[in-house]
Amino acid sequence: MHHAHIDKFAYQDSPVHRLDSRVKFIVALVFTALVISLPATSLSILACYAVAPFAFLVLGKIPIKFALKHILVVSPFVLVLALSCPLYDKTPFTMAFGPFTWESSTGWMRCFTILGKFIVTMLALIALVSTTRFNDLLAGLQKMGLPKLLTIQLGFLYRYIFILIDKAHHILRARAGRKLKNLGAKTELKTAAAMLGSLLIRSLETAERINIAMQARGFTRKWRTISMLRIRSSDLVFAIASAAFLLGLHFFIRPILL
Amino acid sequence: MPKAIELKTFSYKYPDGTAALDNISLSIEPGQTVAMIGPNGAGKSTLLLAMAGFIKGTGEVFIDGLQINRQNTKKIRSLIGSCLEDPDDQLFMPTLFDDVAFGPLNMGLEPEQVKARVAEVLKTVGLINMADKAPHHLSAGQKRAAAIATVLSMSPKIITLDEPDGSLDPRHRNNLVKLLSELSQTLVITTANMDFAAAVAERVVLIDNGRIIADGPAEKIMSDAKLMVDHGLEVPSRFF
Repeated sequence: MHHAHIDKFAYQDSPVHRLDSRVKFIVALVFTALVISLPATSLSILACYAVAPFAFLVLGKIPIKFALKHILVVSPFVLVLALSCPLYDKTPFTMAFGPFTWESSTGWMRCFTILGKFIVTMLALIALVSTTRFNDLLAGLQKMGLPKLLTIQLGFLYRYIFILIDKAHHILRARAGRKLKNLGAKTELKTAAAMLGSLLIRSLETAERINIAMQARGFTRKWRTISMLRIRSSDLVFAIASAAFLLGLHFFIRPILL
Repeated sequence: MPKAIELKTFSYKYPDGTAALDNISLSIEPGQTVAMIGPNGAGKSTLLLAMAGFIKGTGEVFIDGLQINRQNTKKIRSLIGSCLEDPDDQLFMPTLFDDVAFGPLNMGLEPEQVKARVAEVLKTVGLINMADKAPHHLSAGQKRAAAIATVLSMSPKIITLDEPDGSLDPRHRNNLVKLLSELSQTLVITTANMDFAAAVAERVVLIDNGRIIADGPAEKIMSDAKLMVDHGLEVPSRFF
């Protein structure tokens, strides 16, 4: 079965794909922290910040539709939070976006800011994941001090989560093929428990076989890998350009727009 | 010259007491390609696990003249490479490169040597352009070839392959036959596909109910229609 992997564009080749994962990760982290720390009345400056992830996606040849689709998938949680703001905060407020102004409430202002920050930070995250292979990201995180055990666990999770999803789909299909009537809540619960149990046993069996495969190749509890990560001049250029963009926005553009 | 694999009166019971292998005595010469055939549940896969020292029963198992025991485990692992039935169990690393490099790194090779070996092996199995790919981005045939590459990179003298033809279409199966025929190692292959066994093996060992029923040249064993049908098998088309 083919899954819509979030990193399906990470195997493309472009200048941004070739950047070191550590540099991209740090830039994305600083960018996200700055966007989150923006005051609630900062829609205009938020639009300026959005330029960076958009540019990154364009340079990486990532379809904007793909990014927006993934934002939509995780948006319900944030939408509930954002849309609840106008209900409890109705203080009158004059909203401004560039040359346009209109009367609204602080609640709506908060609502738009939450949505704006969510979209911009998600774009940055998608830009990072879509231009960085997951294993490079893990290798980068490990180099930056993330415990090896955690990166190994994440590596296994990424490797086997899709197989587990496939197995769950197969079980659900087998159930749907034989379920000809409504079985009632009690029976449905019993069936669900049996299905989960089956998945757990299969996972344990898989883990056992993976252990055999590891031992067969001389694994002795010491995890050895070859790191291909290397900081090049293009990474330094990217880091300096990112710093200039973020500092410029923070110290020069932000005071004008706020 | 020591035998590549030698089992002397080896028996094994599952934890619930069911006999899986019963008094198996078998020897395989270096460079031979042997197919273990038999119906489902005959004990073929268990026998491969015994050969690689993953299960302990009664009797003795020798690999290249070295008895399998706790002291020899590391040496045995570098002599015999095991390719499991499901490539998804064999390919557990985030990329194909990492997976193929896993064994050589555990053998203590230097990174440059490992890189050279990985490149050489991936070229042999035709996946040199796939080194950076994640295993879940490979097709079934590519996964099978990749699984073999993970073993080849350790340069073992013996390779065991558990149902390597499973879930392969005819084209990928033919590619696999070609790849296996080009290997110089001793190969022990389990399969329930008689045409595949006839295409790859010079010698066949028929196993049923944990016992060796017949052992000999592939054509002699597999053209015996009564023997084959009695044990739930069929005569491959090339021996009709």
